[in-house]
Amino acid sequence: MIRVLRGYAFTIAGIAIGVAGIVALGAMAERIVRFVEGGDRFVLGQISVAGRGMGMGTGFTAGGLLPAASIHAIAEVPGVAGVQAQVMLPLNPSTSQFMTLTQELVLGVDLSVETPNRHYPRLPVGEGRYLRPGDRRVAVVGSSFASSHGLRVGGQLTLEGTAYEVVGILERTLTAPDRFVVVAIEDARQQWIAKDPLLRTVIATGAAALNAPDLNTGAAVGWRQGEDPDAVAHRIAERVPGVNVQIPSELSQLLRSSTAFFSALLVGIGVLAFVIGGLSLANTVAAAVFERIRDFGVKRALGATDLQLGGEVLVEALAVTLTGGAVGVALAMALGAAVDGWVARTGQQLFLFSGRLLGGALVFSVLLGAAAAVYATVRVVRLSPAEAIRRGA
Amino acid sequence: MLEARGLVKSYRAPTGPPIRALDVVDLKVPAGHLAVVLGASGSGKSTLLNVLGLLEDADSGEILLGGERVSALRRSARSRARGRHVGFVFQSFLLLPSLTALDNVLLAGRYAGRRGPDTRRRARELLAEFGVAEREQHYPPQLSGGEQQRVAFCRAVLNDPPVLLADEPTGNLDDANGRVILQSLHARARAGAAVVVVSHRADAVVGADAVYRMHHGRLAAGPPIPEGETR
Repeated sequence: MIRVLRGYAFTIAGIAIGVAGIVALGAMAERIVRFVEGGDRFVLGQISVAGRGMGMGTGFTAGGLLPAASIHAIAEVPGVAGVQAQVMLPLNPSTSQFMTLTQELVLGVDLSVETPNRHYPRLPVGEGRYLRPGDRRVAVVGSSFASSHGLRVGGQLTLEGTAYEVVGILERTLTAPDRFVVVAIEDARQQWIAKDPLLRTVIATGAAALNAPDLNTGAAVGWRQGEDPDAVAHRIAERVPGVNVQIPSELSQLLRSSTAFFSALLVGIGVLAFVIGGLSLANTVAAAVFERIRDFGVKRALGATDLQLGGEVLVEALAVTLTGGAVGVALAMALGAAVDGWVARTGQQLFLFSGRLLGGALVFSVLLGAAAAVYATVRVVRLSPAEAIRRGA
Repeated sequence: MLEARGLVKSYRAPTGPPIRALDVVDLKVPAGHLAVVLGASGSGKSTLLNVLGLLEDADSGEILLGGERVSALRRSARSRARGRHVGFVFQSFLLLPSLTALDNVLLAGRYAGRRGPDTRRRARELLAEFGVAEREQHYPPQLSGGEQQRVAFCRAVLNDPPVLLADEPTGNLDDANGRVILQSLHARARAGAAVVVVSHRADAVVGADAVYRMHHGRLAAGPPIPEGETR
């Protein structure tokens, strides 16, 4: 079989290039899909609440302050299982806040309560540890943030002039948390005041009666087992004055519609990759069979029946396609690793070689290769042995 | 016994009327006989051999092998009949380049349902008999023309077919190798096979039991050629 495969070296190379194209484009699509799915999963795992308003003083979240009294009131709403006050800030406020897909964020969480997000009760830690109640001046950073800032566990990070020890690095999720710096909410509040001159002025002049626990940009709210999260969200909006409640299903819908362009783009890329790669592969396999038309004529002259010949061609085609597919997958992964290694300096990852992608690409190539081989074989066996020998001469 | 009755075969021409390659051909080659078909290029002799060997269908007429009307068989049955009853020797050898000499010989056994150690032993005996035993693991491109034809001959006779058809078997060989092949064909006839040889070589007719000439698709019989004479 090795000798036979060696005879098909160019065919295998052709298939490998086609499959590599499919897999590389598919891996880029998978990367974006993971990002969108991750965001969707996050918003469906909690009810997000902010203070009513248009963003003054709350920067990134574009809502009003969510004071401590509101958080207590939310906790009393029937169906609510837990409320965690949060502060979310852009790391660099000069960056356009519309570019949130790649923005680095500081997330301050109230460590005295459990994170109520059902899908992310705890962000997965790859190295070191997560934050503990009572932690101050320590940070857990996302994997992209760590690589783009050259951070390791035990390293130091300076935020608004204050040094933080990095105690943990999150696993790569390919979603927003990869760019997070997670700190205790008390630390985040200090950073917020340091970042926001308006907030400093309001506090200094006493124009509003603000205490530290009132400085929240929002809260994550969990619901009790068996409750409908949308119903609980509506109940919060009805019973707690002065809050903006994001309904999980509506937010998910919003997220999906805002990423609809990317989804359409991905479908287009995927279809193109499969059509172009698939045609290339099918053409290569069929051409390889037609190239050996003389050999098949000789075999039929020696007594091979259609079934025997078809079986032999199919086995060869499957072996060739599988080998070409495996080489193509390896080629795409090597290419992806090289590119990702290069862009990792900026904390990016362009490719995601998921199991379903690799398995799907191999199954697709084998099935298509087999179909092309069957088509070519049917064409070949229709010829008389003498005609096959003549055409192959 | 190989018998052909009323074979007609035409090919479509790019322009003009169809070309009649076989024009009502009758032929009977008893077991143990060697018949030689002579003719100019394009006279239809290769077509005759292809039709006799079931490598292509005639437009009309029938082929009988050992009394069985094999031309009426379905395609798969015809393939099986071809594998068991007919051996071919081609001018251009037609060995598969991806197989060793031994595997090329064994290929004939595979399609005749003979795969055991006896078949392998028989293949090796044949290669030894034809002086290419030491080349059994060589691939066709590594063999000379004479060696390739000897391997092809081994392949043709591996199953001891009752019918052996040779299309210009010495066409690509030097005199010495050509003689080996012709002698082997005669030996197969003496062993009981019905042998048909298409050749342009004058010495191919020596010792033949029957000589035919083909001209514009028609077959005309001539008298047998005695040993030592050349027509």
